[in-house]
Amino acid sequence: MSNEELESQLSAMFDDELPATECELLARRLARDEQLRTRWGHYAAIGACIRGQPGVQLETALASKVSAAVKQEATATGVPAVGRQQRRFFNPWVTSIAGFASAAAVAALAILWMRNEGPARLAQNPPPPQPVAASTPVTVAPAPAQQLLAAAQPDPARLGSQPRRQSREPDSYVTPAAASEAPMLVPPTELANYIVAHSVYSGPLTRRNALSALVGGDAAVPQVNVQPAAVKVVTDK
Amino acid sequence: MIPVRAARESVLWLVMTLASVAAVAADTPQSWLDRMNDALNTRSYDGVFSHWQGGQVETLRIVHRVMDGEVTERLESLDGSGRQFVRDGAELTCYLPDQRTVLVEKAPASLLSTALPKFEGAVAAYYQLASLGTTRQMGQKAEVITVTPRDGYRYGYRLWIEHSTGMPLKTELLDTEGNAIEQVVFSSLSMRHHIADAEFKPQLVTTGFRWLRDDGGPAVTAEGTGDWTKAQLPPGFQLTAQTAQMMPGVAEPVTHLVFSDGVATVSVFIQTEVFRNTPNQQQPGVAQVGTSSAFTSVQSGHKFVALGEVPPATVRLISEGLMRQWAGQALGLPQGPK
Repeated sequence: MSNEELESQLSAMFDDELPATECELLARRLARDEQLRTRWGHYAAIGACIRGQPGVQLETALASKVSAAVKQEATATGVPAVGRQQRRFFNPWVTSIAGFASAAAVAALAILWMRNEGPARLAQNPPPPQPVAASTPVTVAPAPAQQLLAAAQPDPARLGSQPRRQSREPDSYVTPAAASEAPMLVPPTELANYIVAHSVYSGPLTRRNALSALVGGDAAVPQVNVQPAAVKVVTDK
Repeated sequence: MIPVRAARESVLWLVMTLASVAAVAADTPQSWLDRMNDALNTRSYDGVFSHWQGGQVETLRIVHRVMDGEVTERLESLDGSGRQFVRDGAELTCYLPDQRTVLVEKAPASLLSTALPKFEGAVAAYYQLASLGTTRQMGQKAEVITVTPRDGYRYGYRLWIEHSTGMPLKTELLDTEGNAIEQVVFSSLSMRHHIADAEFKPQLVTTGFRWLRDDGGPAVTAEGTGDWTKAQLPPGFQLTAQTAQMMPGVAEPVTHLVFSDGVATVSVFIQTEVFRNTPNQQQPGVAQVGTSSAFTSVQSGHKFVALGEVPPATVRLISEGLMRQWAGQALGLPQGPK
């Protein structure tokens, strides 16, 4: 993926316009790409600066660049940057990154992360960042990836039909249905077939464990609803 | 007499020395792992174990028989769905009573010599073996052995290996940080000399069930599946098996490549028939079933599915390495309908 495409994805994520599945992938990439994390941090800083976030102080060098860019853009378009960009940047992702995430937001993104990483990996994430009092100055800088992942707040529409949560709501969520666990190219049933085929070549220990996951998990093998083209279908009388 | 006695004493000394060396060797982590592999591959047993993963615990029963080199096995969920897997030689039957469906698959013959993962040789470069000492597990003496990966491309193991049988009474799969992400603990285990065929028959009525049977596809030659030995892979992973097989729901043979570092195994399935008009890299996806990671993507109309009990980054790297090779070479994969 080119830098331009990545930039575009980051921007879309901030605009809350990136599909949930792509958000997941981008979040994973953020975890391992330091350069991307830096860019993410810059987005957060720019957003905070444009909104005139109270209590937020930018790092000096970055602050001057952002201010210059904002002024230049406002001059070129004739539209006050703050007003025009307010909608663009005023979304949960940016707000959270700026350090004002609610515990609810943390749990909501944790669900996104958990869908791919599993609870064990989730458990390694640092505890949710505490809400910061508005009067406390905060330096906006590229945040650690895990913190970013834990702090960002996705659009509730992506996670189901739950209404947008308020910051004082409890951080208790129901994990969405597992339908999106195996996205796009490989339906879960097909994935189960691949795991079975793979198990033939695994060692005895890993084979047993992999098959146990299929046998045991009620959601691991969803409804078999395909008529396989290369498979004979017989109904047992 | 004296020469005879001297010779006898020499032989005795040699025997004692060899026995002593063997005794020392028997105490190494390597030898414990070899014993475990040997027990899993050659012994017949019947046990009940709990499988913990992702915060869920499931109780399963396994009946495993090795007779005349042929493996027959039944794995049954004692909770919830009641699903069962029965392996009889090369045939694997999956009973899904919750879906009133039975899937039957036949394992293809590999085109390369398939070596089951073993803890030996080059494995030391990628895993560190250690013994944590003897403890008791399920009332038996067990040696605790750790297999710790030296990098982030593979998972580790902690194994409680029973002294008398070599069976792993408890196993933990460890992530790259050393945290247990899966645990299997036997609550009962009996080593059996004879297990009747009847014990491999599932105790469920399949009247009205759909049977989806894969009768095997056309034979595909090694040349027909391409040369995949030049792909850039994570350190230690090598191509250990290559074949083509029919998969349920896919009209064309699917190329199946198996990569292993000696312990971890990753399969890559390459489909040609679908996604002929799909742009490259459209909607790559990651998925997790149990501790198996999967990565799917499309390159030049070919769908690549990589999966294995390794971290997600590893299946992705292997898949991307193969896709890069595919993009750079014109390989003679089986072609689907135009």
